[in-house]
Amino acid sequence: MSRIALRAVAGVVLAFLLLPIVIIVPTSFSASAYMEFPPRGLSLQWYRNYFVSRAWIEPTLLSIRVAALTATLSTIVGTLAAIGLVRGRFRGRRALEFFLLSPMIVPVIVFAIGCYFLFARLKLIDTPAALYLSHSIVATPLVVVIVGSALRTFDRTLEQAARSLGAGYAQALWHVTIPILRPAILSAAAFAFLTSFDEVVLSVFLGGPAAMTLPKRMWDNVRHEIDPTITAVASVLIAASIVLLTVAELLRRAAAPTSVSAEGGPAH
Amino acid sequence: MLPAVLLFTAVYLYPLSRLVAWSFFTPAPSLRHYRALLAEPAYLTAFANTVTLSVSVTVTTLVLGYPVAYLMTTLSPRARAVVLACVLVPFWTSILVRTFAWMVLLGRNGLLNGALVALGLVTSPVALIHNAIGVQIGMVHVLLPLMILPLYSVMVRIDAAWLRAARSLGAPPPQVFLHVFLPLSLPGIGAGCALVFLSSIGFFVTPALLGGPKQITIAMLIDLMINDLLNWGLGAALALMLLVVVTVLFVLFQRALGLDRVWGAA
Repeated sequence: MSRIALRAVAGVVLAFLLLPIVIIVPTSFSASAYMEFPPRGLSLQWYRNYFVSRAWIEPTLLSIRVAALTATLSTIVGTLAAIGLVRGRFRGRRALEFFLLSPMIVPVIVFAIGCYFLFARLKLIDTPAALYLSHSIVATPLVVVIVGSALRTFDRTLEQAARSLGAGYAQALWHVTIPILRPAILSAAAFAFLTSFDEVVLSVFLGGPAAMTLPKRMWDNVRHEIDPTITAVASVLIAASIVLLTVAELLRRAAAPTSVSAEGGPAH
Repeated sequence: MLPAVLLFTAVYLYPLSRLVAWSFFTPAPSLRHYRALLAEPAYLTAFANTVTLSVSVTVTTLVLGYPVAYLMTTLSPRARAVVLACVLVPFWTSILVRTFAWMVLLGRNGLLNGALVALGLVTSPVALIHNAIGVQIGMVHVLLPLMILPLYSVMVRIDAAWLRAARSLGAPPPQVFLHVFLPLSLPGIGAGCALVFLSSIGFFVTPALLGGPKQITIAMLIDLMINDLLNWGLGAALALMLLVVVTVLFVLFQRALGLDRVWGAA
């Protein structure tokens, strides 16, 4: 009896979690001139609109570029930091770890304001540089956590073997440690990419007409008039998230067959 | 190590320090922006709104998330993976997309109003967005995974031997749950509540899109100061206060609960 009740309650909660996705995707295929659920007729008109409209495609391309730069920068910086934090035995290690992970708890709007002041002075507002630099700060903690947890389960004897065979520290790192960590590093890069690709607040404050990312374009759209094309954009974003999440999960399984993915992201 | 420290000093620590500069030292060293904050009742209302909203979102996500996390511990690995996917896919879907979906669902001509009218529960569409209900629903949806994941990560490590021992000593299932499972899951409850509360207190996107003028939060007030009123000093003062509150709460939570594992697990 109580088991049935538990399943019913949990089922309702899960349905609530999935509801927005279940509504938006069919709506995007509507043949009507406005948003409609369930759609009475099917068409790809909003997808056609999305892919031919420069107002949507250019922000999409910019977001991909910014996300790729963010993923590259934060993966390199975060992986090196994770190695230092897990392996290092130095004073202030805990404080440094706190510092590098703290963007996970600092409200993005607070960080965005700080960046706004700085980049306004440097005349970098409304440039891609402002976006990928600030996005990297938000994405790096994820990399540190993912790569760090892979490092903690890492068999150090492999590295020691390399060292005892005459490899220097850097050589052992490059030829032994990094290749073994590759699945974790790639999965961290995927999450960093997604974090940047979906980042709204920093783009709203630091972007502009010249550096218009897809989330900023959506934000402006939702705040003023709602163009149903946004349902197609939203569906593409949902699909992208599922693909990246699947890739990251497969990579994590390759890295650690027993671990359950519950990696936290910034929720703002 | 060095590249991270350099990047974080230049693009993180330095920008945050600008908040101090703008709120205390611009145009001249003074507490004028902080005095202005305390003098205006509208700002205090925004603080009260933010705290009330964060508390109610935290409680709601706990009530909704606990059964899901608990159910996951009783499932076969395959079924559990399905449930986990149902939690992770929305979690990693853009917050903007999810909030927009709620705008569509809860709008005047939205699905929910359509259903309410069709069922004869209301005669004309009711306002579900740009008010407290809309923000509450949207925030709970966005933050629910952040509650479920730490809850589950603690529950899954509860040794089943404790539960068997209680049962074999004759405790009926509700007693086993109440006196054994629930107390052992407390660290998860603490971690989940801390994460959800800390996230909601600085939340911007969902309240800005689903809330109305009466639901103005600190984050929305900061946006207003910077982008519309161009009052950078006051905006910086608000942001700095938010930062201090979040940091102090985090340190307190960490002392009380040992949030260390939450860094990784959540």
